[in-house]
Amino acid sequence: MSGDDIEETLTRRTQNAPPELLSRTFFFACAALSIATTIGLVVLLTGEAAKFFTFSAPLVGVEGETASVVAFLTGTTWNVTSGEFGVLALVSSTLMVMIGSSLIALPLGLGTAIYLSEYASPRLRAILKPGLEILAGIPTVVYGFFAIIYITPALQSIIPDLGTFNLLAACIVVGIMIIPMVASISEDAMSAVPEELRQAGYGMGATKLEVSTGVVVPAALSGIFSSFILALSRAIGETMAVTIAAGSQAKFLNPFNPGSYTEGAQPMTAAMVELVGGDITGGGLAYRSVFAIGFALFVITLVMNIVSDLVAQRYREEY
Amino acid sequence: MATRTDSTFDGFGRVSRTAGTIFRYLLLAATLFGLVVMTILLVYVANDAFQPLTADTGWHATFLATLLVPTLAVAAYLYRESAAALRSGAYTVGLIVVSALFSGGVGMLFVDIVAPVEWFAVVVALVAPTAAVLAVVSRDHRLSFTAQFATAVVAFYVSLFGVPGPLGTVAGLPAVVPSVLDGILYAPYALDSWLIVTLTVGGPVAFLGGRFVAGDRGERVRNLVAGGVLAGVVVAAFLGPTVGVEPMPAAVVAAVGIAPPVVYAAGVAANREQERPGVLLPVVAVAGTAAGVVLTDAFGFAGPNSWVTWAFLTNPHSRFAEQAGFYPAIGGSILLMVAVAVLAFPVGVGAAVYLEEYAPNNRFKRLVDVNISNLAGVPSVVYGLLGLGIFVTYLGQAPGTILVGGATLGLLILPIVIISAREAIRSVPDDLRDASYGMGATRWQTVKNVVLPRSFSGILTGTILALGRAIGETAPLIMIGAPNVKFAIPTGFGEAASAMPLQVYAWSSLYAGEEFYQKVVPAGVVVLVAVLLAMNSIAIVLRNKYQSQD
Repeated sequence: MSGDDIEETLTRRTQNAPPELLSRTFFFACAALSIATTIGLVVLLTGEAAKFFTFSAPLVGVEGETASVVAFLTGTTWNVTSGEFGVLALVSSTLMVMIGSSLIALPLGLGTAIYLSEYASPRLRAILKPGLEILAGIPTVVYGFFAIIYITPALQSIIPDLGTFNLLAACIVVGIMIIPMVASISEDAMSAVPEELRQAGYGMGATKLEVSTGVVVPAALSGIFSSFILALSRAIGETMAVTIAAGSQAKFLNPFNPGSYTEGAQPMTAAMVELVGGDITGGGLAYRSVFAIGFALFVITLVMNIVSDLVAQRYREEY
Repeated sequence: MATRTDSTFDGFGRVSRTAGTIFRYLLLAATLFGLVVMTILLVYVANDAFQPLTADTGWHATFLATLLVPTLAVAAYLYRESAAALRSGAYTVGLIVVSALFSGGVGMLFVDIVAPVEWFAVVVALVAPTAAVLAVVSRDHRLSFTAQFATAVVAFYVSLFGVPGPLGTVAGLPAVVPSVLDGILYAPYALDSWLIVTLTVGGPVAFLGGRFVAGDRGERVRNLVAGGVLAGVVVAAFLGPTVGVEPMPAAVVAAVGIAPPVVYAAGVAANREQERPGVLLPVVAVAGTAAGVVLTDAFGFAGPNSWVTWAFLTNPHSRFAEQAGFYPAIGGSILLMVAVAVLAFPVGVGAAVYLEEYAPNNRFKRLVDVNISNLAGVPSVVYGLLGLGIFVTYLGQAPGTILVGGATLGLLILPIVIISAREAIRSVPDDLRDASYGMGATRWQTVKNVVLPRSFSGILTGTILALGRAIGETAPLIMIGAPNVKFAIPTGFGEAASAMPLQVYAWSSLYAGEEFYQKVVPAGVVVLVAVLLAMNSIAIVLRNKYQSQD
């Protein structure tokens, strides 16, 4: 390179040189795609769900069969062939899966997090953490198969009147599935608690048990709650395990009656899979009902995610 | 520390250890609960799939004596001598398993999905213009970007479409020079398929192997090793027919299945003195397996009546559990994985680079941040609806094709890829960026030469984990209308295809019955879980490696 070129090369503004511009545009487009996905989701789900309801169908220019919002939100019978779209029948069993699985996952996940962050030696942690990741990496369809082929028969020997399809087995596998989620997020929150707080606890004469439960857990509470909410939202959206294990009979059950867990039912996600997997034709009322359930599911999980974010940020202890 | 003392002074600070000990073991039990339950379930399903108890006692005794005892003895010896050696040995054994799985997949790709000639044509049509552009650029460094870009466009156009190509067809001109692609596809003489595999698959393996084994011993050793690997592949192709394997699959097995573990073991033996004894472990394991097979054959001991057989892996679905196989589903999963990787990897990494390196801290960035974390929480079945609504209904794609499935699953794992790639990029020290800017590099040059190479293994880890998630997903595939049962293996991205988890679901719901529950579904579950465990362990090993380097 000759001498007089160098000055030009060194002082040239490269910000908008073609390679810079090209790469910047590409990267920006990639980031914008995630926004486009969300917009696509919202527009699609709202649009299709609007075609389903009587009050909104004229607004989007759809004529023909529709369902009333009130009947959808308060009805307790879900029967597509007879045109009864009472979503509460599905919501009740989704709620039951959520409650049942959280009874397993929240205490066990929290215990795991405390153990990993406070008690486990680095060596043990190096084995346990990948183990939990593998637990999270097993496909949900496999969990569903385990529920119906091994867990249900095992439970039937304890509870004789348990059906082949039942919510109890579904709750157990979903619970095991979401343990790693509770554990890893809670553990992150606990690891972020500064060492000084623990040392102060020990300095006051507290035992390790007292420091763990009295200092670390309260200090990490916002992270723990946010992990709980995320795990619950995952349990609500879980599809294959409940589709296989809980059966396909939509019925309204009382979530707070332990006896109803021995029955089979159809959570929201399972109903969507059944409707699309069956031979419904595009454009019919049954087809749109899938989008109506999907819309409800999307809104519920979105609200839970946002709440979890808010909890994590609003109530975070700053150190 | 207070926990270590039962009491300090009489009557003051008396502390009972009992509560703490109970608490500690309760926590340990909570930690192990999920793992133990899952291990028991996996043992059950493996038992159902492999039926190990149906084998002769002699079969078990033989393998115990030839494989299990010697391998465990060597492992115990290595554990006492050097943990690093044991780790290398275990990695090699793992690599043997992973390479075997991988060679099965690649072999399937060449036997039934892509004709080797087409593959060769595509590879040459892409490599040739790349080489031409690199040659032009390296001859004249000061070529302006516009000129470089134009050269690249012209080179790729000619290579892929010929002169005058589609532009000429529009204008009504006759084809003058055929494209490289067509030239190879319609050439009167085509290379043998085993030779194509040797060049296109064995070549890169040999190149990487040479670099790994030679270390810093110079070019001559590197070329010798690479030549040795290639020669091995050629020899395998010629020896294949003598044991009843076609030359092409033999070359694939040699290049993808055998070469990587051998090269890894050789590299460890050549470059890391204290880990050298570790090579003993895979040698003993392989020799033990071979001896076991030969001996059980010689004595006529019957093996287990396993359901995971060659027939299961290569047959299509059947209404009869005895004949049902997994082949089309495996093929569908492989193509889906390719489609998802091609679609999600560049976009995910691009978005991560934008957010970490380019985006000013403004409202748009915060919006994207919140948006990505929310997208990660959307249930997979809703992504299925998105695929159904957008790709199938609005864009008019045929339901259930690999392209639609790949795009849907790609969107599903995009947030995961972005989040993990951001973490990897964030872990690149700022000093390196500053040094690059200080040398006068532009932002793109810094990203290309510093940030991406440094964070590559981290990005790869996250992508493999995300791909594993995509491979295991069933619900989105059902929503986009992928067929439950497919009898033929898909041969292109526009074809509807089943996938492994979907096939397992179909078997356990549509064909629910004793026969399927006891034979075919466990076998399918075992194959699916084996593939996912292999992917997850690759990712975890990779991550441990790069984390220990930092």
